[in-house]
Amino acid sequence: MRNLVRSEGYARARLVTGSIAMVLGAILIVRTLAATGLAFKALPACVLGGAMIALGVVRFRDYTAARRGRP
Amino acid sequence: MAAASLAAKPAAEPSLRRSVTPWGSFSWGYSDVGADIFVGLGLVLGTAAGASNVAFLFAGIVYVCIGLAYTELAAAYPVAGGGQYFVFRGLGDIFGFIAGWAVLLDFTIDIVLFAWSCIDYLSKLLPFLGYVDHPWVHFLVVFSLIGGLALLNIIGVRESSAFNEFVSGLDVVSETTILFFGFLFAFQPQLLIHTMTVSWPSPFSLMNGVSLAIISFVGLESISQAAQETQRPASVIPRTSISLILTILIFALAYSNLALGMQPWHAIPPDAHGHAQELWQYLGNENNNGAAVAVLASYVPYFGTIAALYVPVLGAILLLISSNSGVFGSSRIAYAMSGTQLLPSIFQRVHPKFRTPAVSILTFCGFAIVELIFASLPRLSAPVKAIYARLFRGEDGITFLGDLYAFGAAASYSFVFIALIALRLNDSQSPRRFKMPFNVPFTFKGNRVEFPLVAVIGFFGIVSILVFTMITHEIGRIAGPLWIVLGIVGYLFYRRRKRLPVFGSQPHDWRKAQINILQEAGELEMMDEYLVNVKRMDAARTTIRETLR
Repeated sequence: MRNLVRSEGYARARLVTGSIAMVLGAILIVRTLAATGLAFKALPACVLGGAMIALGVVRFRDYTAARRGRP
Repeated sequence: MAAASLAAKPAAEPSLRRSVTPWGSFSWGYSDVGADIFVGLGLVLGTAAGASNVAFLFAGIVYVCIGLAYTELAAAYPVAGGGQYFVFRGLGDIFGFIAGWAVLLDFTIDIVLFAWSCIDYLSKLLPFLGYVDHPWVHFLVVFSLIGGLALLNIIGVRESSAFNEFVSGLDVVSETTILFFGFLFAFQPQLLIHTMTVSWPSPFSLMNGVSLAIISFVGLESISQAAQETQRPASVIPRTSISLILTILIFALAYSNLALGMQPWHAIPPDAHGHAQELWQYLGNENNNGAAVAVLASYVPYFGTIAALYVPVLGAILLLISSNSGVFGSSRIAYAMSGTQLLPSIFQRVHPKFRTPAVSILTFCGFAIVELIFASLPRLSAPVKAIYARLFRGEDGITFLGDLYAFGAAASYSFVFIALIALRLNDSQSPRRFKMPFNVPFTFKGNRVEFPLVAVIGFFGIVSILVFTMITHEIGRIAGPLWIVLGIVGYLFYRRRKRLPVFGSQPHDWRKAQINILQEAGELEMMDEYLVNVKRMDAARTTIRETLR
């Protein structure tokens, strides 16, 4: 398991899943706002979408840091 | 605490091995906090109904603040002990005791709540284990499970960290797949908004739901408790913590939104009175609220057929690991508190053969058994059920345990925020590789410090959850404060008997402790920075004194 998570393939897989999370997060926000408009009830789904985008950003930063050889 | 005593040891003495990698640090936290949604989802759906996602959102925002606070403190003070150590160091002995005592309440409930839910998940495959239909079997199996965990911990057998990492990895993949299929094939935003509109709860139920939602986020401190065994903690902990915070927040919000807005693949069975029910109602009823994730997964299109077979097993394993972390954590915190004379020395006694803190393990597993009995009694005895209906609005089983869990978590987290503010003001010399965002710089006692605004927001958030718990939970309102008061009485009696400061603190050489902590962590740059900061502060104070003379 540890060898797997240290491999370059794992870093790339995280980058890919992070990118998917960003896309899905954006879709969720757009779909919810399209269904409800700017309403309070859309807030939880929009925050969820925002958190998914943030997770994608974190994974992208981790990937670039790993390429620079950070521990 | 443990760290203080550990820091005072000569460097040659053996200490915890730093073998926890970034992934290990993540999985350590995930195996604890990741299991919470398995318990919390059904409880919140059962109380907050159409506002369950709002309840998770409120608790999630508070949780993000808690997570950031723990990340900053664990990276600055990478020692075992977590929140209890931070409060002990920031606020002194008595508050360190109260925070530790509240954490101990949480750990004992952690043991029984997760063992209980583990059996609930297995009952989806083995119906004879169900609490509602077979309460005696359920009680005896949970009882045996706790006894077995106590025995394994006394013998010194722990799950291997590799196994922990494997299960955590498998669970992240599994939960992501469930959500992916659910959102792709069955999620309807219009249904979500409809459910939120039609089934919006009363303010009382919403407060109840928020107070239960916080239990889905308890356990992040595991990363800080493992800090003493983490490689390069100052750089690794912030990375893994932020990932963990986001992952758990996404899972909690995603499951609650999905449960409210998902069109189930199969028809939902009618309730006990033959009335049709929505998916969220089905998940929140007393038959399913202990295993809501497994039930929801089975209603996901396509993937649900497979998920119905393996999610109960995977959930049960993760919950069992979490229950075991309660046994391990409670005994180690009691051992460490005993080392700094916050608890009697009996909790430091180790088994002569196995070298494990057997007294601590047996004591806190004993408390867990008592909690199990109180939670199970209404189903086991009809007269007790009537008493509970009169005194506690009929709350029993997993709801009973959830109440106390929410109280213990909210109480201990409140102190951590205050400790963070105190340490920012009084220990500005300690380098912080990670800081909570949004700080206001100002001068305090001649030092430039930064006041953390997010800690204030988090403090008010968690205190409001504590207040919600006290307002909405009869059990949390009585048993929670009673636990704290009995602990304080015992603490005062013990400190007076030992002729130690009762309300004050014993003298601690925090500078020496901090140098040893950073040295042992291998954070030598931070240690040098700390020494420079200390010298600069001492020089500034000397100059001020001479000027005043």
